[in-house]
Amino acid sequence: MIRIKKENISGFIEGLMSDYVLFAPVKDGETVSFRKIESADSIAEDYMNTDKSPKDIFFPPAEVLFSFDSGEITKNECSEKPFAVWGLRGCDVKSLTLLNMVFGTARQNPEDEMFQDPYWKEKYDNALIIQTACNDPRSTCFCNWFGGSPHDGEKADILVIYIGDAYLLDPKSDKGRKYLETVKNTEPAAKKDIKEAERLRAEADSSLSAVFELDGIVGRMSGLFNSGVWEEIGAKCVNCGACAFICPTCHCFDVQDEGKGKKGKRIRIWDTCMFPVFTAEASGHNPRELSKDRLRQRFMHKYSYFMENYGEHLCTGCGRCVVVCPVNLDIREVAKKVMSYQS
Amino acid sequence: MVNELREAAGKLLDDGKVDLVIGWAKGSLPLASTPVFISSSDEADQLVFDSTCGNNLTVYFTKDNKKISRDRKKVGIFVKGCDSRSLVLNITEKQLKREDVTIIGVPCSGVIDTRKVRRKAEGREVLEYSQDGDTVTIKGKEFELSVPLEELLSNACLSCLRKDAEEYDLFIGEPRKFSGESDPYSDIEEYENLSADERWERMNEEYSKCIRCYACRNVCPSCYCNVCFVDQNDPQWIGKTPEITDTMIFHIIRNLHIAGRCVECGACERACPMDIRLLYLNRKVAKEVRERFGSDTGTDLDQKPAMADFREDENQDFIMG
Ligand code: SF4
Ligand code: SF4
Ligand code: SF4
Repeated sequence: MIRIKKENISGFIEGLMSDYVLFAPVKDGETVSFRKIESADSIAEDYMNTDKSPKDIFFPPAEVLFSFDSGEITKNECSEKPFAVWGLRGCDVKSLTLLNMVFGTARQNPEDEMFQDPYWKEKYDNALIIQTACNDPRSTCFCNWFGGSPHDGEKADILVIYIGDAYLLDPKSDKGRKYLETVKNTEPAAKKDIKEAERLRAEADSSLSAVFELDGIVGRMSGLFNSGVWEEIGAKCVNCGACAFICPTCHCFDVQDEGKGKKGKRIRIWDTCMFPVFTAEASGHNPRELSKDRLRQRFMHKYSYFMENYGEHLCTGCGRCVVVCPVNLDIREVAKKVMSYQS
Repeated sequence: MVNELREAAGKLLDDGKVDLVIGWAKGSLPLASTPVFISSSDEADQLVFDSTCGNNLTVYFTKDNKKISRDRKKVGIFVKGCDSRSLVLNITEKQLKREDVTIIGVPCSGVIDTRKVRRKAEGREVLEYSQDGDTVTIKGKEFELSVPLEELLSNACLSCLRKDAEEYDLFIGEPRKFSGESDPYSDIEEYENLSADERWERMNEEYSKCIRCYACRNVCPSCYCNVCFVDQNDPQWIGKTPEITDTMIFHIIRNLHIAGRCVECGACERACPMDIRLLYLNRKVAKEVRERFGSDTGTDLDQKPAMADFREDENQDFIMG
């Protein structure tokens, strides 16, 4: 573990910018989101969790897959430099590993490239993932429901812990270790720094609310598929896509061609099961006709289907949807309601 | 007031006057209330009303959500001034019948915009919110602030002159009468005084933040087309990406579709997760309609919305040049 004095951190960030295309949390009005940055001082400081999630970086809201011109196809090329991301939270890093299960590792057949998404892989596989430990989790954070904790950096390349007068940088992967070896102006972390980091970790851990056990939720949800619970939960839902679009793990998309004549481009665009048109069929029939049918899909994908398919819940407990939902439909309460519902 | 409101709802249910009451309950976050549907008097103690009750509940009479109210014959609904105007508009547009709804007015002193609260708290998380008259107290881990409610109010409420319902069956407390003065539109004055180019730039700045989640459209009781033009795909009218050209078309067309139908409740702006100032355009269009056609949206059950009406004596400059 190395230590960088607070005043030298911008030097470290500038170094990152010369080796990588760097993304970091940037403030825009009252919202904070990850953006490509050109200078170290544009990084937002007083944020707890970005409003938009980091999935935008690796899985952009609208990504041109290729362009075409009279039968000639040109693939959209990725940037020359690899990406690095600064300021990710533990839940954010976790979400990327979940998305990687879908787009990157081809669970069906790991060797077969056909099941791997090249657009995701070229960005994610070479990326340097730098996580900031959360010293001050929000009341809406519930990463501990999913085995996470505010200082857990095991899935990142580098874990950064801010200890007041300095940053401690802890390499968590070979990639992270190699990069840190190239960084100048550092000193090894002293014993007292490590002690302070441990104190902060314990303090952050204890500030989270108690874990709500989700054991058995997969079976319960399937059992309740046709029950009235969805109508009860969903009565107030207005079926917008705010929750899905700010969620770091929701990843459904639509593919559209935009163009004129023989020239145009094929674009992958975020979509969500909350929108009626998502399942509208050409005949006019919609198998998820009502708001409750669509909302059931979202919650079951989170806490049932993904677990069945990949052995993890498709939720990291970041709490973003809890904050933005315009009718305060709180996913933590949904889980609790499903677990206690008597049909 | 909360007790009166609960009693009123309970009584309506017990007397069989309604079989469902739509109101607000305390939410899971300090700054949030949440819509609630009460069907028996013993659930009525969930009901609350304060400045966190920003949702315009009329939305549950239209769109997909209308299933909730349509399944019941007689519905009671709590309304602020602006919400009642939405109801009136929806009634004039034949989305529901006046006799099928029991309107319960609540005295409104404006609702908060959580972003303004966040700004006051300077990024620190607000863990407690309480209100005493016109003063709001917000508390977090290591801070406590007292702020005049006015500074936290939603932009829509700043210039709202009809805070209490005028169309109602029951009112909790004494409704204040509308004084008849005209809205100064001071909140958009700065925007209006910009040159056309600057306004265009401002719109670009605002709408480039849009993620096309449609929370604004979906919380709006005036936006209730069975299939919104942005969702039509045969033919597809506009691109689906959050690129500024597509986004701008969405917003401009939505604005034109609600011209003369927007009650300026600000629910859209409060719902937006990206903190976009939607009211610049909404209020500007509303102002134009008001000045040109002299209509006050949602204040008269016998009056058609401005764009659905034609009178020979109305201003026709825009046609004749
Ligand atoms: S469902 Fe909500 S809490 Fe879970 S990862 Fe998505 S935004 Fe975060
Ligand atoms: S617009 Fe008026 S009636 Fe509506 S919430 Fe604001 S102050 Fe109340
Ligand atoms: S709520 Fe905000 S982000 Fe969502 S579509 Fe409306 S303006 Fe865009």
